[in-house]
Amino acid sequence: MIQIQTKQSGKQYWRSLDQLSHTGEFKDWLHREFPANASEMLDGTSRRNLLKLMAASMGLAGLTACRRPVEKILPNVRGVEDYIPGKPFFYSTVFTQGGTGMGLLVEVNDGRPTKIEGNPDHPYSLGAATGYQQASVLGLYDPDRARIPMTGGNPSEWKAFDDFAKDHSTKLGTGEGLRFLSDRICSPSLLAVKAAALAKYPGAKWVEYNAVTHDETAAGGQLAFGQPVITRHKFDKADVILSLDDDFLGLDANTVLPQKEFSRRRRVTSAKDEMNRLYVIESQYSVTGAMADHRLRMRSSDVKGFVADLAAELKVGGNELQIVGGNRDAKRTKWIKAIAKDLTEHKGKCLVVAGPRQPAAVHAMAHLINQALGNVGETVVFFKSAADTVRPQLDAIKELAADMAGGKVSTLVMLGGNPAYTAPADLEFAANLKKVPLSIYLGLEVDETAVLSKWSLPEAHYLESWSDATAPDGTASVQQPMIQPLYFGRTAAELVAQLAGYKDQRAYDIVRNYWIAKFGGKDEAEKTWRKSLHDGVIPGAAQAEIKPTIDVKKINGAIQGAAAATDALEVVFVQSASVYDGRFANNGWLQEAPEPMNKLTWDNAALLSPATAKKLGVAQGDVISIERAGRGMQAPVLIQPGQADDSISIALGYGRVECGRVGKNVGENAYRIRTTDGFRFAADARVRKVAGTYPLAQTQEHGSMEGRPLVREANLEEFRKEPKFAQEMVEHGPLVALYPDHDYSKGYQWGMSIDLNVCSGCNACVIACQSENNIPIVGKDQVIKGREMHWIRMDRYYSGTGEHPDEDPQVVTQPVTCMQCETAPCENVCPVAATTHSPEGLNDMAYNRCVGTRYCSNNCPYKVRRFNFLAWNYGTEEVQKMHYNPNVTVRMRGVMEKCTYCVQRIQEKKILAKREGRRLIKDGEIQTACQQTCPADAIVFGNINDAESRVAKLKGQTRDYSMLEELNTKPRTTYLAKLRNPNEELAEKHNG
Amino acid sequence: MALIFPKSTDKYVKIGGGVVALLVLGGISAYAYFTLPQVMDTGYSPQQPVAYSHKIHAGNLGMDCYYCHNTVYKAAYSAIPPTETCMNCHVRVKPQSERLLKVRESYASGESIPWVKIHRLPDYVYFNHSAHINAGVSCVTCHGRIDQMVEVKQFAPLNMGWCLDCHRNPAPNLRPVELVTKLSWTPDRDPAEIGREIIAAKHINPPTNCSGCHR
Repeated sequence: MIQIQTKQSGKQYWRSLDQLSHTGEFKDWLHREFPANASEMLDGTSRRNLLKLMAASMGLAGLTACRRPVEKILPNVRGVEDYIPGKPFFYSTVFTQGGTGMGLLVEVNDGRPTKIEGNPDHPYSLGAATGYQQASVLGLYDPDRARIPMTGGNPSEWKAFDDFAKDHSTKLGTGEGLRFLSDRICSPSLLAVKAAALAKYPGAKWVEYNAVTHDETAAGGQLAFGQPVITRHKFDKADVILSLDDDFLGLDANTVLPQKEFSRRRRVTSAKDEMNRLYVIESQYSVTGAMADHRLRMRSSDVKGFVADLAAELKVGGNELQIVGGNRDAKRTKWIKAIAKDLTEHKGKCLVVAGPRQPAAVHAMAHLINQALGNVGETVVFFKSAADTVRPQLDAIKELAADMAGGKVSTLVMLGGNPAYTAPADLEFAANLKKVPLSIYLGLEVDETAVLSKWSLPEAHYLESWSDATAPDGTASVQQPMIQPLYFGRTAAELVAQLAGYKDQRAYDIVRNYWIAKFGGKDEAEKTWRKSLHDGVIPGAAQAEIKPTIDVKKINGAIQGAAAATDALEVVFVQSASVYDGRFANNGWLQEAPEPMNKLTWDNAALLSPATAKKLGVAQGDVISIERAGRGMQAPVLIQPGQADDSISIALGYGRVECGRVGKNVGENAYRIRTTDGFRFAADARVRKVAGTYPLAQTQEHGSMEGRPLVREANLEEFRKEPKFAQEMVEHGPLVALYPDHDYSKGYQWGMSIDLNVCSGCNACVIACQSENNIPIVGKDQVIKGREMHWIRMDRYYSGTGEHPDEDPQVVTQPVTCMQCETAPCENVCPVAATTHSPEGLNDMAYNRCVGTRYCSNNCPYKVRRFNFLAWNYGTEEVQKMHYNPNVTVRMRGVMEKCTYCVQRIQEKKILAKREGRRLIKDGEIQTACQQTCPADAIVFGNINDAESRVAKLKGQTRDYSMLEELNTKPRTTYLAKLRNPNEELAEKHNG
Repeated sequence: MALIFPKSTDKYVKIGGGVVALLVLGGISAYAYFTLPQVMDTGYSPQQPVAYSHKIHAGNLGMDCYYCHNTVYKAAYSAIPPTETCMNCHVRVKPQSERLLKVRESYASGESIPWVKIHRLPDYVYFNHSAHINAGVSCVTCHGRIDQMVEVKQFAPLNMGWCLDCHRNPAPNLRPVELVTKLSWTPDRDPAEIGREIIAAKHINPPTNCSGCHR
């Protein structure tokens, strides 16, 4: 169909080689003595090329050793200021997601961005980064990215588009029939270009649409206060938090700030410390639900009734608020009473938050409750919104689709977002797009929208282009490029500037001149600009705080409404923890990152509670058909303990058909049943079982600890009575080691402490580790075989003692990585001494020495060693090799690997300290990749020989315990036991 | 029945078998010998695109190694200098020389000079120049008398056993940092004694565990 697709049928490097063995081609090849069409194998785009290379490399292995391979060194011609080959630069930039910018620092090795870190100076990052952000560097080097402009499905070039645009912009007149469609814009410079475009074409309209939005949050603010506001929750100020379907520690936050702040109130050092209390009301089990002290599973559509009843119980809004609630049962009434009491006892120190899937009325009620409890100005503050009015995105795109259908749109300019895939199904966006005479799409990939557009243009990745973005409170940052655009992509601002004849045409000029004009004063402005680039934060750009008041009468109308019909099932559309709204579908790191709760990789599934599954007569892996609003989709069933009954959760972003090699046809497309009247959730679905089953690749299918206290947990009260509960949980006889102890009297002795009380299991560390340590991905088939390579395994266990332990369990998460045991079972069994003990206590792993017996892995009680069953890195395209960390060996087939405590970072700092003539490395100077990115600061690494180091102090706490200590492995990574802070009135439901 | 082969054939078979066995054995030994780093790598001296003579620059003219290899104190790599460094002098010194044509071309066109790598460690070895230089290991210890080489050749085998010899006993190879680029320096007393003093003063403790070099 399109030429670029020939490029996409090439080597399947992302997935396993083994996957190729299931193809007919491979079997043919295998059974023929001499492959037919030998010339075909020379075709660089053929799958067989890979096999040919494999065979050739085996044949030549002996020969190449005889001749010294000649390598060239190509130095720069002219020196680059401050550049030292092999030394990384760190640049600040900003990552935009869901209309929110978050500051980052990017490590650039010899001109290649290789690692993303949070920017410690940015108020919404504070040094941490999310999994999406960590993985975005892989997206930069994605070989399936859009590379050239295409017109009508044929390859073209930028020159042709420029000529066309020049000619076309003169024909646009006042812009009647011109429409722009973009993501929610938080870039001030793009807003300026947008304003210029709308000034030049007064008849044009600009529509903003995101498939995953915080629109209802904004609408709730508008409803409550009569003006658009930006709400900032201060989680570190709240003693009691009630989350109404809000996954603020996970997917519903676009930044890491909520996790940073929340975790500050969970850091318990002694029995005297206080801890916050979290209630979560939600339908799907989220990481926030796992963190909760009390979690009530409830259909998303029932939350409105719940909050109405809670408001009535709290008597907020006086007599003006007349509430007609939904169905009430005894359990719910008890919960409402208990929560209301707890909130009332913590006036000014509590917080009610509502999730972005909940309607505006719920948000308005949350504002009302916060105001009534005196939380405004304490735990919740408001900023003036940059926009004067909030136009719901759904209304805007509905109107656009109607205009397109009615032939009113002559030119449609789409700036990313893949609307043909993500727009509500009832708008028939893809069909209407074909009716538009001229459609221009600027996108990173050749996606569903690109193939339908008259012009599809390659967009520049955020790591290779200039732009800017603002954080929720208005804090602005400049997005600066780390590398020249790999495929000559352009930015959204450039495209609009071109069409609008804006005064600046290049992205750099657009951004720079915007801010220089803002700063004012020539020399001063230049200085401020440079400082902004350096710091990653533009001074003085944050919005002022405001104190709006609530109009109760307005809420009164909105909150009314009967509870949803109960005979139909509810479908909840959630953004994917892996692929977001589908834009990261071609990112292998994210596809293979296990969903935090159900540990599903490479797929989405219909999540059902055990009771609902029983009612429907379906089991795990069965395929069901979900129908609503006259539309249907099929999805495999995944039984999720803790899911609300009669509620199906399904992740968006899967089932991409026009996508790169990694994400194509992975999972099922839930957008097919997502309509404008059931955009967030819809309680009108019919479900039936269809024939067939579907294999799901979960990295952890088992939810029980089998009686061994791997995660140790207690209630705060129990901890106060018995501070040493974690250490006394396992009784064992005297432990005797076979070998003498090592001597650590000199130098360093590394150790790590992981605080399970703040770890939410969000996966950021898993991806950070993958990026830092060149960890390959293996593909769905190999995950099913248990061959995933992540060095950090995020374990998830269910616990529950209520009437239905599998229906309503509590969840604990535990990152497990190599423990660097002092008496390591792996070391003793290696026949070639490839894994040995270092003088600093690490279990060194010499890949070049490993012969692949796998004895070490068999003998490891923690199962943290990973074996390269296949050559995962073989056949990687040149552009993909650019993301590799140059300081870590890329491992080959037949080699064991595991966490090394980021030994490359340790060595770097040790050498630096020596060079500077320092005796010892400062505490905190070395940060492992997982520690650095952890939004909850759960991981601390350091020298345990130094009694004053943070890690030594943490290990001295009474909550400190070793996993499987009865085996006498003496692990260097120890855990701090988890605590919960339950409300006594609800206490019998849970235990420790 | 008549014999197909005469009795004397046995002799030839035995001799032939012996020859084959010797050839195989010889082949294995030759392979083992010629692929020894000391044999295969030591003395490697490929032809470079520009006939640059270290003997003239570092030896006769007495330029310090650090003038060109100026990242050596700070970084893992002792970087090959950019063409610009050559041109610092050669805009004035021998500006028309035939032998410098490629350097001028590189400077004008922006294309790098493709120097051939001589000292090559496997990809899984992370050698750090700055760690060694700042400890007082001289260039000469690993690279030999570069200042006497017209064409650079590999001086040491650079195999792991050779590295470990020094890591286990660094004292004889240490000197004051300010003398590391003085290739002709000869100690006035027992070098091991000087080394021991430096070890004590700088707390030098070279790693002999795997992760010291393999990551």
